Amino acid sequence: MRRMKFAHVADTHIGAHREPVLAQLEAEAFGIVMDRCIQEKVDFIIISGDLFQSGIPDLAAVDDAVKKMHAVREAGIPIYVIYGSHDYNPNGKSIIDILDSTGLIKKVVKGEIVDGKLELEFFTDSKTGAKLVGISARKAGLESRYYEILDRETLEEEPGFKIFVFHSGLDEFKPKHLAQMESIPISCLPREFQYYAGGHIHEKSEHTLPHYGPIVFPGTLFAGSPRDFEASAKGTQRGFYIVQFNKKVEKVEFVPVKVCECVYHEYDVTNKNSVQAQHELRKSLKELDVKGKFALVKVFGELAGGKTSDLKFAELKKMLSEKGAIHIDINRFGLVSKEYANMKVAGEDIGGIEDRLFKENIGTVKLSNADLKGEHGTKLAHELLKIVRQEAKTGETKKDYNMRVSEDAVKTLKLTGAMK
Amino acid sequence: MKKMEELEIAGQIIGGKVANILLREKSGKAIELGDLLVVDEPDGKYLILQVYDLSYGSQIPQTVRELAAGLKLEGYGPSLDFLEPHLRNYVMAMVKAVAFVSKGGAKIPKVLPSFFSNVRFIREKDLSFLIKPPNPVYLGKIRSGSKILDFDVFLDGEEMLTHHVLVPATTGRGKSNLVKVMLWSIADHKKFGMLVLDPHDEYYGRNSKGLKDHPNAKDTMRYYTVNPPPGASTLVINLRAIKPEHFEGLVDFSDTQLQAIKLYHRQFRNEWVENIIRGTEIDGVKSTTLAVLQRIIRVNLAVYLEDGQIVCKNRVFSDSAGEATISTIINDLEEGKIVIVDTSKISDEAELLIGSAVANEIFSRHQDAKAEGRLDEKRTVGIIIEEAPRVLSAERLAKSGNNIYSKVAREGRKFKVGLVAITQLTSVIPRDVLTNINTKIILGNEMATERHAIIESAAQDLSSDDRTIASLDKGEAIVSSIFTKFAVPVQIPLFDDYAKMAKPSDKKVVFTG
Repeated sequence: MRRMKFAHVADTHIGAHREPVLAQLEAEAFGIVMDRCIQEKVDFIIISGDLFQSGIPDLAAVDDAVKKMHAVREAGIPIYVIYGSHDYNPNGKSIIDILDSTGLIKKVVKGEIVDGKLELEFFTDSKTGAKLVGISARKAGLESRYYEILDRETLEEEPGFKIFVFHSGLDEFKPKHLAQMESIPISCLPREFQYYAGGHIHEKSEHTLPHYGPIVFPGTLFAGSPRDFEASAKGTQRGFYIVQFNKKVEKVEFVPVKVCECVYHEYDVTNKNSVQAQHELRKSLKELDVKGKFALVKVFGELAGGKTSDLKFAELKKMLSEKGAIHIDINRFGLVSKEYANMKVAGEDIGGIEDRLFKENIGTVKLSNADLKGEHGTKLAHELLKIVRQEAKTGETKKDYNMRVSEDAVKTLKLTGAMK
Repeated sequence: MKKMEELEIAGQIIGGKVANILLREKSGKAIELGDLLVVDEPDGKYLILQVYDLSYGSQIPQTVRELAAGLKLEGYGPSLDFLEPHLRNYVMAMVKAVAFVSKGGAKIPKVLPSFFSNVRFIREKDLSFLIKPPNPVYLGKIRSGSKILDFDVFLDGEEMLTHHVLVPATTGRGKSNLVKVMLWSIADHKKFGMLVLDPHDEYYGRNSKGLKDHPNAKDTMRYYTVNPPPGASTLVINLRAIKPEHFEGLVDFSDTQLQAIKLYHRQFRNEWVENIIRGTEIDGVKSTTLAVLQRIIRVNLAVYLEDGQIVCKNRVFSDSAGEATISTIINDLEEGKIVIVDTSKISDEAELLIGSAVANEIFSRHQDAKAEGRLDEKRTVGIIIEEAPRVLSAERLAKSGNNIYSKVAREGRKFKVGLVAITQLTSVIPRDVLTNINTKIILGNEMATERHAIIESAAQDLSSDDRTIASLDKGEAIVSSIFTKFAVPVQIPLFDDYAKMAKPSDKKVVFTG
């Protein structure tokens, strides 16, 4: 009897990188996965969210990915997906919907709310008979509302080999550094599924619990954020899973995907002045073997004297580039000087810092509208920031771009009525 | 026709002294123990009195009364009665003045009410000086004896929690009902974080009405339990989140054992517990000491080694899951949520340790915030602990030294961390801890020693209220606090009735797929 198997991929974040080298590595990683799936003759592929970096991603990156996925479909391998928090477009259709309507991928989320309960429909993979059902992510963990009203009983009673696809962190299994991240408790998921294909957490992990099949997070395939690079450089494996199954899961195997070597170096400036720090940093970076590697440098701490701008990062980057590094990323979000430490931020990645700053500052503004205050206000601020960060599309005039961003902002703020 | 005031007259002051004023009850008025009465003074001022004892008074000599009773009992004159009995036989009430109210508000009374003045029952408007505080925590309605006035009693949660709360009562007097009512009210505004260590799993309402039914529950409540219903979180804590200081004052370690723990922690950092369980030998620690530490951890955490794997009997402690649990709880508390930890299926030791881990981290964060001048940004966090003598009794503190709970009781005020200690045994808690607890919500208590301990440490002089406390029925309480003008008698509503008054949430979910 032929063993059935599927691949489980997540958080590929295609289109996350604009730098040509990183964009190429990102595409390469995705290509390796798709090629391996064809080579392994998997029966189907699950991508459990954040296939793309945004609802309307960079089209060049989409083009590469679509070509690869097309080859997979040509090989008779269906691709089942759900929205990740990045795939979601609050203002309309996203690239996932477009690819779904072309038949290149299949979104396994279908359901309706009946008498206050969310009833989901299974999708049956015609070749293996595996039944898939999932819940897409929404921005800022809003999908938790769906779990609150989910009709679990019907899902649990369904016979057969069942896979639940989701894109949420789980309270019980999220890493300590993600304590502040929105997540759901495991009790939100229906029990008695043979496999739980998770996404959203960027580090691979496998978990077992009574009444639940393997709960698996493949982690990000390449990198969706600077923290991912740091984790990769510190030894976190990147890749995806191939799962063999019959009536139940027989083997869960992680397939590493490594598209480049990373070198990580961190330097604490605390108790040093800017001259000392520059000198020591240059000396230590000089000794690094970065040829053909991705160099990630983290500089943090509080300078005892001088300004943070005294540190010549461009010079250090140039030095590493001359030593043959394929890409250099110097993270200095945790760097402050005593003289100019009027604004302290504890987060280490951009998202964390933004969140912290929103939370810190939202209380300092007098607001009469309750929706603009507290956590809700913070979430709204994140949404707005995402909208104003959008770049102009190819061929889009400045006027159209301004109009589009304004309209998106108005919709997000629910001011449509007020604007009429 | 009689004036309204005349109809309301309950009695008349006929003598006595400060804190022991005597009044004669008007016949048929049925003054009760704990009744609140009012003496009106000129210029709109008035004194509020409270009844603390009742006795009979009679103009007829004792021997005559005895003879009259005998005649009636032995059938000599069944219709025999005294001439105008309501004039000759009456009830005397012993009352104390609890508040003097003028336009400037209420003050502790320093004068006696006018001699021979009329006394009336209190009305709702007499209590208008009790205004609703900015961060209200609901306790119930004002009670006068057993009569309930339509006047809500709130305490300011910010003040109340930071100055700690004691809820002393014997079984069945409504302790958990009171705490549920308070928490329900706190969930209305999300201004304080509340950690609830719940050894009886009675607050969330897994199988009945509970805090889960609050309209804001989705945003303000988190429930941890070993067997979570849908939507609740699994109580699982990673062993790496446990620090040596979390055991402080909870486990009696010898000096040698403490030294050994320090060495393990120094060498393995957050993996110190795992290495003790695995029996990793290190320099400076004898194998016998290691064996004792393993036993202590087995007893306290129910964690042991089986076929090379770390196993937790009740699955609360884990070497793989629950890495973020403590941090998530702390974040939730700092966001003003109520975190209920169902400890009904774990040992006392594990419960106190989990509480200690959270309380230590909160305390430490708030200490840091204070040092950096950021304490104002922090929400007040309250910790509700049942059977408080487990950590606050004189015996425990003498045996194991201070623990985080006693530290919070003594120093928490400075760092916006408060304790709500629930106990049947107030008398075993040291006086210095009790005096730091500035609000006592006193429920019925039939044990004299306990009543005396409560009275001695109350914020107001309750020396004459021993009998009143003994007579408190289920749901009746006296709130003695430095934040109330007098010891306020309240009727705590039944939680189910109180919760019924809340409007259900009308948030509709739209599924977008």
